[in-house]
Amino acid sequence: MANLFPKSANNVPAQIALILGILAVTTVAGVTYYFTPKYTRVGYMPTQPVPYSHYLHAEQLGIDCRYCHTHVNQSGHANVPAAEICMNCHTHVQRESPLLELVRDSYLNNEPIEWVRIHKVPDYVYFNHAVHVNRGISCVECHGQVNEMEVVWHDQPFSMAWCLECHRNPEQFIRPLDQVYNLNWTPDNAEAHAQWAREQVVAWNVNPPQSCSGCHQ
Amino acid sequence: MSSKTTEPNAAATPSTVPTDGRAYWRSLDELAERPDFKEWLHREFPQGASEADGVNRRHFLKIMAASFALSGAGLAGCRRPEKYIVPYGKQPENSIPGIPVYYSTSFPDAVDNLPLIVETHQNRPTHIEGNPKYAPYGGAVNAFASASVLNLYDPDRMTASTRGRRRVSKDAVNDHLEALRERFAPTGGTGLAVLAAPSTSPSRERLMRQLRDQFPRMTWAEYEPAARDNGDRAATALFNGDPTRPVYDLAAAKRILSIDSDFLGVSEPGANGLQRGFAKGRKVRNRDEAATMSRLYVAESPFTSTGAMADHRLRLASSRMASLAALVAAEVLDQLGQERDLAQNLRSQAAGLESHQQWVSECVRDLLAERGGSVVLAGAHLPVAVHQLVVLINEKIGANGHTVRYVRKPRARRDNLESLVQSIGEGRVETLIVLGGNPAYDFPADLDWSVLRGRVNEVIRHGYYFDETGLDADWSIASTHYLEAWSDGRAYDGTYVPVQPMILPLFEGISELELLSRLAGTSRADAFEIVLETFRTDVSPGASRHDFNRFLSEGFLADSAFPAVTTALSTSNLRSVLARADFRSAAPSSGSLSVRLVKDTKVGDGFYANNGWLQELPDPMTKLTWDNAITISPALARELGYDVKSGRFLIGGIAAARGNVRGSREFAPVGELTIDGVTLRGPVQIQPGLPDYEVVIPIGYGRRRTGRVGSGVGFSAYPALTHTHGLSRTGATITLTRDTFLLANTQMHWNMEGRAIIREANVSTHLANSNWANEMGMESHSPPIYGKDKDMSLAEKSLTQPRGASSHHLPAFGEPAPNLRVWRDPEARAQFIPEQQWGMSIDLNTCTGCNVCVIACQSENNIPIVGKDQVARGREMSWIRLDRYYSTGDIDENREMLPADPQASVMPMACVHCERAPCEQVCPVNATVHDTQGLNVMAYNRCVGTRYCANNCPYKVRRFNFFDYNKRAIDEFYKGPLGRNLYKTEGGILASMQRNPDVTVRMRGVMEKCTYCTQRIQAARIAQKVKARDSNNIHIPEGAFKVACQAACPTESIVFGDISNTESAVYKAKDNDRDYAVLGYLNVRPRTTYLARLRNPNPAMPDYRKYPGSYEEYKGMQPQPRAVPEPA
Repeated sequence: MANLFPKSANNVPAQIALILGILAVTTVAGVTYYFTPKYTRVGYMPTQPVPYSHYLHAEQLGIDCRYCHTHVNQSGHANVPAAEICMNCHTHVQRESPLLELVRDSYLNNEPIEWVRIHKVPDYVYFNHAVHVNRGISCVECHGQVNEMEVVWHDQPFSMAWCLECHRNPEQFIRPLDQVYNLNWTPDNAEAHAQWAREQVVAWNVNPPQSCSGCHQ
Repeated sequence: MSSKTTEPNAAATPSTVPTDGRAYWRSLDELAERPDFKEWLHREFPQGASEADGVNRRHFLKIMAASFALSGAGLAGCRRPEKYIVPYGKQPENSIPGIPVYYSTSFPDAVDNLPLIVETHQNRPTHIEGNPKYAPYGGAVNAFASASVLNLYDPDRMTASTRGRRRVSKDAVNDHLEALRERFAPTGGTGLAVLAAPSTSPSRERLMRQLRDQFPRMTWAEYEPAARDNGDRAATALFNGDPTRPVYDLAAAKRILSIDSDFLGVSEPGANGLQRGFAKGRKVRNRDEAATMSRLYVAESPFTSTGAMADHRLRLASSRMASLAALVAAEVLDQLGQERDLAQNLRSQAAGLESHQQWVSECVRDLLAERGGSVVLAGAHLPVAVHQLVVLINEKIGANGHTVRYVRKPRARRDNLESLVQSIGEGRVETLIVLGGNPAYDFPADLDWSVLRGRVNEVIRHGYYFDETGLDADWSIASTHYLEAWSDGRAYDGTYVPVQPMILPLFEGISELELLSRLAGTSRADAFEIVLETFRTDVSPGASRHDFNRFLSEGFLADSAFPAVTTALSTSNLRSVLARADFRSAAPSSGSLSVRLVKDTKVGDGFYANNGWLQELPDPMTKLTWDNAITISPALARELGYDVKSGRFLIGGIAAARGNVRGSREFAPVGELTIDGVTLRGPVQIQPGLPDYEVVIPIGYGRRRTGRVGSGVGFSAYPALTHTHGLSRTGATITLTRDTFLLANTQMHWNMEGRAIIREANVSTHLANSNWANEMGMESHSPPIYGKDKDMSLAEKSLTQPRGASSHHLPAFGEPAPNLRVWRDPEARAQFIPEQQWGMSIDLNTCTGCNVCVIACQSENNIPIVGKDQVARGREMSWIRLDRYYSTGDIDENREMLPADPQASVMPMACVHCERAPCEQVCPVNATVHDTQGLNVMAYNRCVGTRYCANNCPYKVRRFNFFDYNKRAIDEFYKGPLGRNLYKTEGGILASMQRNPDVTVRMRGVMEKCTYCTQRIQAARIAQKVKARDSNNIHIPEGAFKVACQAACPTESIVFGDISNTESAVYKAKDNDRDYAVLGYLNVRPRTTYLARLRNPNPAMPDYRKYPGSYEEYKGMQPQPRAVPEPA
């Protein structure tokens, strides 16, 4: 009986093993590298129940972040405003707009609007807004240029490595306290600002926590 | 703002949300398919389309590569669930999401409302602490008050009123109350009776008066099983019948004699003030204070925390206490040379106590030597006559006006219990309203509730649980929790305090005040209006609404305490009372045992049976959880056939190597105690230090009808409680059966084995050589722990020592992280302000082992309960525990027999935050490491559960989540994922409302331990940095926050703070000769250190020992100096 398989078939098991091996390594490497917040989270841009535009309100109208996110400089949470705050203006402006139907309902019935959450850290992470904005870290460092977003998206990865990037180099991120809520701010003179920042880190005694207890409780 | 998780595409999504608005791609295809994808890239990126395109093309390709590498494996499983942010429609005032709001209120009690501050998160009460502004208690609470927040969220509480077994609406209840009023109005309340649990509420009192005006023939009686009013009754009788109350000030006392009064426990009225006062007299900061430290004499029948604190402890059967009081009084009179006849009479009634004559006379001599600075207290369970004797003694030893004062209570009309029982027995009561309490369970056996119940037409019960009484009541009206409804009350000294709600009733409850006002038909049915009116009319006439608000914000009304009694003690009255009283007693024997029923330190009189925190709390002395036991003395045990050598039966907390103790499991023999034909059956435990023929049984267990936690726990001792005899009985016999019963005990080994764990010495030793504590332990004769730095101050050491103990170089605590470029510059480095360094000091001289810290920690740190089975396997989760040791002075003797009369010492133990932590060195994944503030932190998310750290911890303070204790029901741990998920059951969701949102809820397979309340440190740090803004004023000021155990400690034994600050309280506390580190010789350098305990015995006493037992044991174990061979 003739040989069913040519001699080269002897190598097939080894080849299969090799290919499977490469595949396994590639898979593991791929998952390790790509299944990180940098790739899975950045760009998340859900449709919100009310088509609120930060670009219109914050950039064109120039409303300060704290007009709506009232407690961002007092509390760990940067609260999403109650419908009441929207209605401060919208009882006068765009009173009949169908887009604001939900807001008016919420205000009248005291039923919350379900905004889809974009920025979220895991439950075991205790991020605090107040301490950052009061110590010269601008909203823009984590949230991106929200003032230019029609629809808000997830701008930065929010991974632990990303947090530590800043905690290890605070001088690259702090800015004058009066510019914290000015998302368009850039230093006039980058070199002078770098010098200023280094001095301020010392003057404010900025020593951002790098220990576990800084964020995990 | 809160967030909630919903399933994707759940029906809950509002219809206005476009259903195709799913913007988070599941797979590459979905992303690529979307027609608006490219357009979005260009339109949305403001920085410039080409740049965005470049970035996103690369991004796109990477995702594509990853996706192909996965061969199309969908990412659906990895998708993050869509979550929502749900802001208010209208923002309530003063509510900042993420910042807790604190409300003042008080913990309702029969005699003593404890002023409280309650922490609420988004209007959910989560944690209870005492109100530090109220000076007599200074923020002290007890374990019941601290744990009562869990009752609020108890899934087994009554959620609606019932008529029989049928649920009825609140309106139906109100209608029925109206109907009752109309029915009884014409007859003036004939046939109407109320049996109420005692309360201090002036509003309730006012409503009761109104009710009496309406129904003059109504009967109103009150009942509490372990009543605490005998002291008041005695004083009232002696001060011309005006309601009077003795208030003790132990802070001013130098010599204290307690006659069976467990004033450091839970059974005495005003115990919080007593504890705090006592601790003040024991606070020793320097040698002068040691010389003037108070001395405590205790004669007691059980072995209590008070006995453990005693300098001289006389164990005496409870039946003999009255005789002892008579002997003490006689001795006082004789030594003063007054009232010979009365003294003679009293002494004759104390026959049989001759063997204690010297103890008593020396004790009395000492009391008299400190005239004006000594005081005598009697146990609340003792008869009124004994309390009257104590009034006499205190008068004679000059205590009045110094260490005890008498205050005038307002008159309150009550019918006594006997008359109520009589009228029920005669069938004269048609409708009985039971307000609180649980008579079907805890009524005295000789009054027989079941018979009484049968004689009453209609029983209307107002209670928090559907319990034994609710079961056979016609109406069970659900009560609100005290955190849900307005009321008021008075602290023990009469200070008016609010009971302020901070959450709307979770269920259809009706508050007691509302119920009474309905019944009285008053115009104001709202509890707030009722309290406001009481405030304006009765308490503070003419006060405005503004005054009321200020009262609420303070949490108590200053200067509203009861006025001092101005009339003198009527001695003639006293003499005639004492002449009639009978103080005689016979010595108990094995055929006629003395029995003492005690209010349980955990479940009280039974109300807290369904509170898991309290059930799992180890008793301060027996260390039992989830059960009560018949505790007997070692002598009685021997008579019953206990053999020490073979350890044939259970030894309470006394581990024989063999026998019936395995791990934390005690297999206790079941005993039967018979008294007057009533037999109690329960596990028997040996308690060293009990009088030989005394049997002590905690009440409050064996509930027949309660919730899931408390059902089937322990046995009820109430059948032995009678109205005639009270809590102390005689004439019992005990036999052992062949059955055994599993007890879950958290401390099996009672002996320190001669090691210097708890260091104790007498005051005389301390005065001669105040450095004695540092001359104990192996570290006293090993090379110095800090080597060349041994002479540095604590503050310097805390900043300059390198962190951790690995060979890898870590910076010192006081240095900035080396990877911060700015701080590497030497000029900048010179300006660096180091982090604060946290440390704790625990004063063993004032710690009474009251357990409040354990509950406070549980409440603050989301610590789960694990159930009896798991505790028996040694898996309890509490982060702080109290170790209790017995010592007799002779180790060998201890090994041969059970100590009959040992000394006891208590030590709180939690993670001590070693600077060179052994746990860190063995963690394979760096889940436990040091932070820059000296905390040994646990990163739960890194922990893989090897448990090496727990194994390597010399203090055994690490706790492992063997199961999903938070997520699974106690009886379903072993079902794993097949069991119910509590987070999805209604009861579980309710219970999770108590959780502290600032602390991670740990899951299975994760190690945990005390964090030094890192969340509180962090909150204070952030608050300070927010304040500092662009300045470097970032150090938390001293006293800005307290850790949970520290805040709860009634005796201020726990001090926490910054040890690098020489001005801090903790630095000053540690800067004391008595400061020592437990197991210091291990060179782990713990941040929690202890202040060694001092005992202050009287050399003239017959039981005087020159050294405390533990000290003698320590000395006895030291190697004797080797004899130097004589030179040849």
